[in-house]
Amino acid sequence: MKFALIAMAIIAALLMAAPSYAEWRAVPADESIKVAQDKIEVVPNMEWNRSTASSAKFGETWTADGVALNELTFFAAVEEGDTLYWNRIFGSDKLPVFKSDMLLPEIPELFEKSNRLLLDTPVFTIEKVEADRLSGYPAVRFSYRYAVPDDLLERRGEAVGAIANGKLYLVNFVAPSLHYFEHYLPSVRKLFGSVKLLDTKTETDD
Amino acid sequence: MKALLKLLSASLALQVAVATPAAAQASGSAQKYQPINDDERTLWRTMDEYEGNIRHSPLLIADAELNDYVRSVLCRAVGAEKCSAVRIYILRTPQFNAAMAPNGMMVVWSGLLLRTRNEAELATVLAHEFAHFEKRHSLQKFRDVRAKTDAIAWLGFVPGGAFAQIGLFTSVFAFSRDMEREADFQAVQSLVNGGYDPQSASEIWRHFLAERKASAASGKIKFDGDIQTNMFSSHPGISERLEYLSASATRLTRPNLETGRTDYQKAMARWLPLFVDDQIKLNDFGGSEFLIKSLAGTKWSGASYHAMAELFRYRAKDGDYALAAKYYRHAVATDPALAESWRGLGLSLMRTANRPEGIKAIRKYLELRPQASDAALLADMVGSEN
Repeated sequence: MKFALIAMAIIAALLMAAPSYAEWRAVPADESIKVAQDKIEVVPNMEWNRSTASSAKFGETWTADGVALNELTFFAAVEEGDTLYWNRIFGSDKLPVFKSDMLLPEIPELFEKSNRLLLDTPVFTIEKVEADRLSGYPAVRFSYRYAVPDDLLERRGEAVGAIANGKLYLVNFVAPSLHYFEHYLPSVRKLFGSVKLLDTKTETDD
Repeated sequence: MKALLKLLSASLALQVAVATPAAAQASGSAQKYQPINDDERTLWRTMDEYEGNIRHSPLLIADAELNDYVRSVLCRAVGAEKCSAVRIYILRTPQFNAAMAPNGMMVVWSGLLLRTRNEAELATVLAHEFAHFEKRHSLQKFRDVRAKTDAIAWLGFVPGGAFAQIGLFTSVFAFSRDMEREADFQAVQSLVNGGYDPQSASEIWRHFLAERKASAASGKIKFDGDIQTNMFSSHPGISERLEYLSASATRLTRPNLETGRTDYQKAMARWLPLFVDDQIKLNDFGGSEFLIKSLAGTKWSGASYHAMAELFRYRAKDGDYALAAKYYRHAVATDPALAESWRGLGLSLMRTANRPEGIKAIRKYLELRPQASDAALLADMVGSEN
């Protein structure tokens, strides 16, 4: 019966690996809303759903049609030495850490390395990296695409990140290249433009 | 998601485990056998679907030249006739692995190509997997386990789709140590038959063991004194293995055998920067440092200096930016056209409070790569500063 016991242990592990219970709440359009423990404020121009659970360690996850089809993640006030995602996902300290003196071009690098590990794929390419503003702070906007081994659907993403008062703020949108990415991108870009960082203590410089 | 890659490799071992009829066990080519009952037919279909997915996998490296080359190494070791039964798929996956299914599908991970240093080492692993296939090891295990438990019922019960089901199966149907030993001995014989130096069979394990120790020393994994990965968990202990592989090679060796190092380096030259970059981004400092130094050997290229520099810049511990800058400087001194090294040098110098020199290096990058994806941002950063 040794094999049956091993099989049962594996099944139990698989069941336990299932996503923990997450509660979803509707986000209305055209209203100012505070997200990620009130660290960011945005005004979406369409309806979204926000989750009580997120892979982001300091953040919040939204979706319009389900996270497999479109996912918006707010990383808010990531501090020196912290990771973008929960290290416990890996059972080790594998993820790269944020440093408060990072330069803007290093933010997409941190994001890429974190996601390669989270998604367990080497097929992840940063595409366009540009200067931008986020809530008045100097920011980096970048686009990327990736694919994972078990899924034939390629995904594209766009994100804007800034370091304010030594903390990292990053808003990321990802969706399948097929239809969903292009469809939601205009609304997502408007949302990026509406971002206000709430708990920074220094003055914005615009 | 992490488990999926494990399951991917596991699935291949399962496939070896499910579809070989007893009549064909002793010997015979890949084409001769067919599944003999409903259980095996169901599993065979799963395997066929899996191969269909592999053909469209985003990880597949379809480059004809690389595929032809890897095939030529296998064919030289096992002979043209046996080799004709094999379909090879190279997947861009940075870990060390290869596997073979009973229908003739062989999967090679790019992490294997990064770690083998010559044709003889590559042939060792390919011939080992081929030996499991030819000796019908998996069916023996499948029958043995099925006699003890209703494995098919378990298969139907497991949630998570085919990958998870297949993963369960591999965990249950691992090869025995005797089977691994038999595949090892056959691989050594294949090396000699193909004109390859059989000592390479033990060298690859010695090298991999050293990498694991280096990786453990940097604190990312636990080193348990033996090799524990997907591919190797059921394999004989490393010290025992090194001993019998080396003894077998000494017994079988003859004059005029070669490792095929020069041809291997030539074939891998345009792939190594990509494979090394994938390795560095695994965030395994010790393992990556070991592999970069091993690839560099005694004569460091600009690419090797660049890889070391990236490794230190990404780790970003105290003093790492200064070390990164040192390696980037070596890289551009060796090959001034390495645009990415100028970029890295510029960023590293800016982080070590040497902004004027950093700006100069970034400008050099922009001069070499005006169309780079981040050119606009970097141009904005350096502005009109002197």
